[in-house]
Amino acid sequence: MNNKHGNSYFKQVQTFLYRVENGIMVVLVLSMLVMAVLQIFLRNLFESGIVWGDILVRILVLWVGLAGAMVASRQGNHINIDILSRYLPKRAGNAVKSAVEFITATVCSVATFYTLRFVEIEFDEGGMAFAQVPIWICEAIIPIAFFVIALRYFILSIITFSKITKSSL
Amino acid sequence: MTLYILLFIIILAALIGTPLFAVILAVAMIGFYHSGVDLSVITIEIYRIADPPLLMALPLFTLSGYIMAESKTSKRLVRLTHVFFGWMPGGLAIVALVTCALFTAFTGASGVTIVAIGAFLYPALKQSQYDDKFSLGLVTTSGSLGLLFPPSLPLILYGIIAQQMNTGQGVTISNLFLAGILPGILMVVLLSCWSLWTSRNNNETKMPFSAKEAFAAIREAAWEIPLPLFVLIGVYGGLLTISEVAAVTTIYIIVIEVFIYKEIKLSRLPGVMRDSMIVCGGILLILGVSLTLTNYLIDAQVPMKLFKFIQEMVTNKITFLILLNIFLLMLGAILDIFSALVIMVPIILPVAVSYGIDPVHLGIIFLANMQIGYFTPPVGMNLFIASYRFNKPIAELYKASIPFMIVLLIALLIITYWPGLSMVFL
Repeated sequence: MNNKHGNSYFKQVQTFLYRVENGIMVVLVLSMLVMAVLQIFLRNLFESGIVWGDILVRILVLWVGLAGAMVASRQGNHINIDILSRYLPKRAGNAVKSAVEFITATVCSVATFYTLRFVEIEFDEGGMAFAQVPIWICEAIIPIAFFVIALRYFILSIITFSKITKSSL
Repeated sequence: MTLYILLFIIILAALIGTPLFAVILAVAMIGFYHSGVDLSVITIEIYRIADPPLLMALPLFTLSGYIMAESKTSKRLVRLTHVFFGWMPGGLAIVALVTCALFTAFTGASGVTIVAIGAFLYPALKQSQYDDKFSLGLVTTSGSLGLLFPPSLPLILYGIIAQQMNTGQGVTISNLFLAGILPGILMVVLLSCWSLWTSRNNNETKMPFSAKEAFAAIREAAWEIPLPLFVLIGVYGGLLTISEVAAVTTIYIIVIEVFIYKEIKLSRLPGVMRDSMIVCGGILLILGVSLTLTNYLIDAQVPMKLFKFIQEMVTNKITFLILLNIFLLMLGAILDIFSALVIMVPIILPVAVSYGIDPVHLGIIFLANMQIGYFTPPVGMNLFIASYRFNKPIAELYKASIPFMIVLLIALLIITYWPGLSMVFL
């Protein structure tokens, strides 16, 4: 009972976080779109434009892409070579899947560590990317994305692993 | 020694289904670690996603493709082509080929063509007395037809990757678009001829051309007909860059599908954006980590060593092209087109250029191979999508698509060994 209660609480938090993440992504996509079109109008109609507009759009592409990659790892929907899983029996399949998810999580954890260190160095140096926006903020999405992806794949790995033990009962 | 053991483990991990971005990232990190470079450099490399201004076209065209796939564009397109081709013998088969090619050019070959167009062309083909096996093969094959027509995303991605490299700096997207047109038409024409031949004894009920129906169909699709023109004028008129064309096209498509046709509710739009960005994010992440790996490989002079190694065995261009075709066909069967492009182009391009192959021509060869890979057994993606969508055993689809594959292989040979076909407008 208690466990169930805990589960539904966990689900609520998860749903909330998913919504926030979805919201951020939609805002990023729309800003990219609006900014790009605005630049075209300014340039062609008024022969002007926002100086840092193009840089901002390009950084938004990076952010949108990595946000999309984060969302894709919710269910482990990243592109892979999928030859084996169709032919394996269910239990063996889950064992392989759990291992694969664990490997992915480990690789992303290492990447999180090193990218975060780099962003810290940039923070100390304090360079500017455009306007008054420091470069470390633009780069911050990289460690964030690796951290979230690592976390999600660890969770996926545990869930898949628990399926093996359950099916043996 | 430990290096080789590690690499072996990683290759094994890739084969059992580890996400490709993690595999590539692991290889790059091990490589950098091995040559004593601080691993923090991966941040700089991934940050290079924000370098090419062109890259914006990728998320935007993905989004506009998703929106078109969600609306009833496919239905209007079929009606329109039916009016103009329906009176011909084998008309419906040609309708299917032309519609799929146009639709795929805009939506990318993500299997959406099979779901959106195949889903109602397959019953229609069977109703017109076409053989079941033929109809299945046709819709499965057509799912990736049109990859060579503008504004196909794989073409744009090839251009972006080539421009990142010294050997491919002259590769512009507009040249790639021009180069793809005749090879793309060749594929449609050859498949049409094959369809006419196999269905020559078929008593299809032909639809006579009617000016009234033509007018109605044109009026219905009036907002969407200018789209291909938009892209072409935008790109070749010199007013806009490709990424700007992508931005304008996306806004236009959102406005017509949401506010004029009203086929997508405004509340559904964020969901479509999310779905499309999941796909695009997956590709961009692989692109980012591949930039990292490519940089390591170039530092380690891998493409040069590879070229020397190949040159010892392969002395002429023709043999190289034959081997390239075989390799790419196998690659296309196990990898999706975007990962294949991102991973292999940086390695293959310098080698191919050393054999005197034009980078633009190489792009067309690459995509033509990948297109066939989409329905190559045992793991071509279109086979699984069609199997799922039409509820048919996968083995039946293998058999159904083989004749079409042979036709496209002939087209591939022509495209590969007759560079003039791709380069005629350049």
